[in-house]
Amino acid sequence: MAVNPTFRTPVIARPTPELRDKLEQMWKDKPGLLGWLSTVDHKKIGHRYIFTAFIFLIVGGLEALGMRLQLAQPDEHLLTPALYNEFFSMHGMTMIFLYSLPILSGFSNYLWPLILGTRDMAFPRINMFTYWVFLLAGIFLYIGFWEGKGTNVGWFNYVPLASRAYDPDWNVDIYSLGMIFLGISTTAGAINFIATAFRTRAPGMTISRVPIMIWGTLTANVGLLFAVPAVSLDFFLLWCDRQFGTHFFDPAVGGRPLLWQHLFWIFGHPWVYAIVLPAMSIVSQALPVYCRRPLVAQSAVVLATILTMVLGFGVWVHHMFSTGLPAVAMGFFSAASFVIVIPSAVSVFAWVATIWTGRPVFTTAFKFFAAEVVLFVIGGVSGFMTAAVPLDWQLTDTYFVVAHLHYVLIGINVFPVIGGIYHWFPKMSGKMLSEKLGWWNFWLMFIGFNVGFFPMHISGLAGMPRRIYTYPASMGWGDLNLVTTIGAFIFALGVLLFVINVVMSLFAGRKAPPNPWDADSLEWATESPPPSYNFAVIPQVGSLHPLWEGRLEEKGGRSILEEGAVLDHEHEIPGTTVLDAEPDVILKQPHPTLAPLIMALLIAGTFVGMLLTMWWVAFGCMLAMIPALFYWFWPNAETGWEIRA
Amino acid sequence: MSTIYEEGTLPRPLPVGKAGFRTSGWWGMLALIGTETSLFAYLIFSYFYLQSQNSQPWPPSGLPPLRYAIPTTVALLISAGTMWWAEHSIRLAKPPRLVIGILVTLLLGVLYVILQFLDWKIEPFVLNADAYSSLFYVITAAHVLHAIVGVLILAGMVLWSAMGHVSPQRYVPISVAAMYWYFVVLVWIAIFVTLYLLPYISPH
Repeated sequence: MAVNPTFRTPVIARPTPELRDKLEQMWKDKPGLLGWLSTVDHKKIGHRYIFTAFIFLIVGGLEALGMRLQLAQPDEHLLTPALYNEFFSMHGMTMIFLYSLPILSGFSNYLWPLILGTRDMAFPRINMFTYWVFLLAGIFLYIGFWEGKGTNVGWFNYVPLASRAYDPDWNVDIYSLGMIFLGISTTAGAINFIATAFRTRAPGMTISRVPIMIWGTLTANVGLLFAVPAVSLDFFLLWCDRQFGTHFFDPAVGGRPLLWQHLFWIFGHPWVYAIVLPAMSIVSQALPVYCRRPLVAQSAVVLATILTMVLGFGVWVHHMFSTGLPAVAMGFFSAASFVIVIPSAVSVFAWVATIWTGRPVFTTAFKFFAAEVVLFVIGGVSGFMTAAVPLDWQLTDTYFVVAHLHYVLIGINVFPVIGGIYHWFPKMSGKMLSEKLGWWNFWLMFIGFNVGFFPMHISGLAGMPRRIYTYPASMGWGDLNLVTTIGAFIFALGVLLFVINVVMSLFAGRKAPPNPWDADSLEWATESPPPSYNFAVIPQVGSLHPLWEGRLEEKGGRSILEEGAVLDHEHEIPGTTVLDAEPDVILKQPHPTLAPLIMALLIAGTFVGMLLTMWWVAFGCMLAMIPALFYWFWPNAETGWEIRA
Repeated sequence: MSTIYEEGTLPRPLPVGKAGFRTSGWWGMLALIGTETSLFAYLIFSYFYLQSQNSQPWPPSGLPPLRYAIPTTVALLISAGTMWWAEHSIRLAKPPRLVIGILVTLLLGVLYVILQFLDWKIEPFVLNADAYSSLFYVITAAHVLHAIVGVLILAGMVLWSAMGHVSPQRYVPISVAAMYWYFVVLVWIAIFVTLYLLPYISPH
């Protein structure tokens, strides 16, 4: 084997066709199925994340439409009560865990190395691993659904209803083990994003030149690192209670049902921020492009983002105001829930000021981002209302809360995501989406959403509780529910138009130039779609807006994009320091490998064994992980180990 | 056009591969330790929460014996020292001491796992007796599992050190493995204090 040289001065040059050929040979995947399974290319991983999460969005959406048909009129019998329980539980679980974070991971996986001006993430193999685990955990969570064994006591799964005594079948077992399984993907992904942000930015991208999109995702992932263990533990304890007769939640011998709620919401509320902060940062990154100016008060928005996440760990009890906690606790958490409005409002004012002082170009993407601002304000205000304890006692478990959480999650997650796809689709696919279809797509989604979800505020105030499968005509909720159902279907039609637009554009769309929107960040400096190696030479970053230099009256350096470090010995990227982004190492990145897939399959085998209580299967898979990990981490020159000749 | 590079940027000689101290692996391990530490924090939170909500005696079925817990603590504290010594040796370019140091750490880790199994055998309560005993076993088992992972990491390091993959210029995998081992030891201290010592100091 070759001996690695210990030091090397990177060659600085302009890209030549020969260099591009050489890099393409080096970075491209193997052909065929093996290449598909063994790739560690962040762009392919990003595509797969977005595609898979979007499938889950459609599945969860169909479940929602089923519920809306059932609720459209009083005393309907389209779904049985048991099936309705499964529908709303699976809908919540799917949207919250299998759609909203994975889709954002898809954006980040695809875009981070491009925005950071480099060729890959810090841990490409872990990156691929997180996708396989997400896919397998998603399938695992759905295995029971077709036989009536999907989770059926709500996505937050309260004990004692979720205990073996009241839910004896596999429903909650699948949910519990599946959530622990999925948590592995989330955590491993968070570790990868953190290391990438601190380690692999392009030379010169100092901490003050890091684009806002990176900040949103980084903040969310630091939060996830500390939040996910709470829910994994919670589900593990519940599974032990159900499987081995332990007593964590059993008040007869010292356990407490409220322990479930505490651990769940200690995780649950930071999770809300983890699924909105990256989406908000999509808006902060892309909205200014259509306003033809930089984001107003970028530093304040970054600090507010971080502050929101920190405060987000101190508000979990506002989900538990009706459980009879001491008044002091409720006072504290109520106050904290009011305070968190302030950093959230910073972003809103920054967006409004950006639109106000800019020269907006009314593209479809712009419309989705502007709609996000409006829906965020509505969802934020209804959240602010329920932060007040007395009002919360009236509204908790009513449709008012359903309206609130959908304004937040659809408004701040789905709208930015669709807008983000309109913005980055040219980069990801090399094709432009149709703006004409986009116009219909946007207005159907925006009108359908508001027609569907705004009346829920009113039905909630009228006392309609959540999670009921039907209601008598005498309650007088029929008309409001009919309007909601009609709105839901208009919204679904909008989503369908979006899918049609994507499919048509992929086959017959206009070819996209490298920078169709004349945007400012580095992903637009390379071709559309980018080559396997992203950048032929590594860019040198001199400002926050590398592609707008010269047009902005900005002090400071100039970026150098036309020449840079060549780094053409195998998979190489520069490693840089945390604050100043000075290059301090040439990193050797791994080549495609099957190790992540093998590990993910072994973990899946472990969970299947645990579900079926075939302990030898679970234990055997765990033992097999040892050689699999040794295979994964075996030292080789490719990944920068010193190999004696 | 003359290209102006900012101070500290390219081009200059740079180390290649796993060189330096704050490597990708260092960041990855730091993040992993952060998430695993919070797992134990939530376990200990659950312990104190259930204790605070209980009017029954805590622990309900007698104090956990210290017969094996104290030797465990001593063994793990020594193992942190041997791990440090091993890492220090490779910086001083003494590879044989490196292998010996990791090997001793590994054996002390195995000793801890054995002692913990013995400890479980003499506990006056079983897993599904009550909420306290359930938590006691889950917390200690979670730590044993982390220690076993640590032992496997150390086994890898012994193997790769013996094969000559680690050098005074490039020893970062050793440092990253050492970080994990220190984490295992520190978490044990928290568990020892919470589960074994506090019930003696303030019997409920």
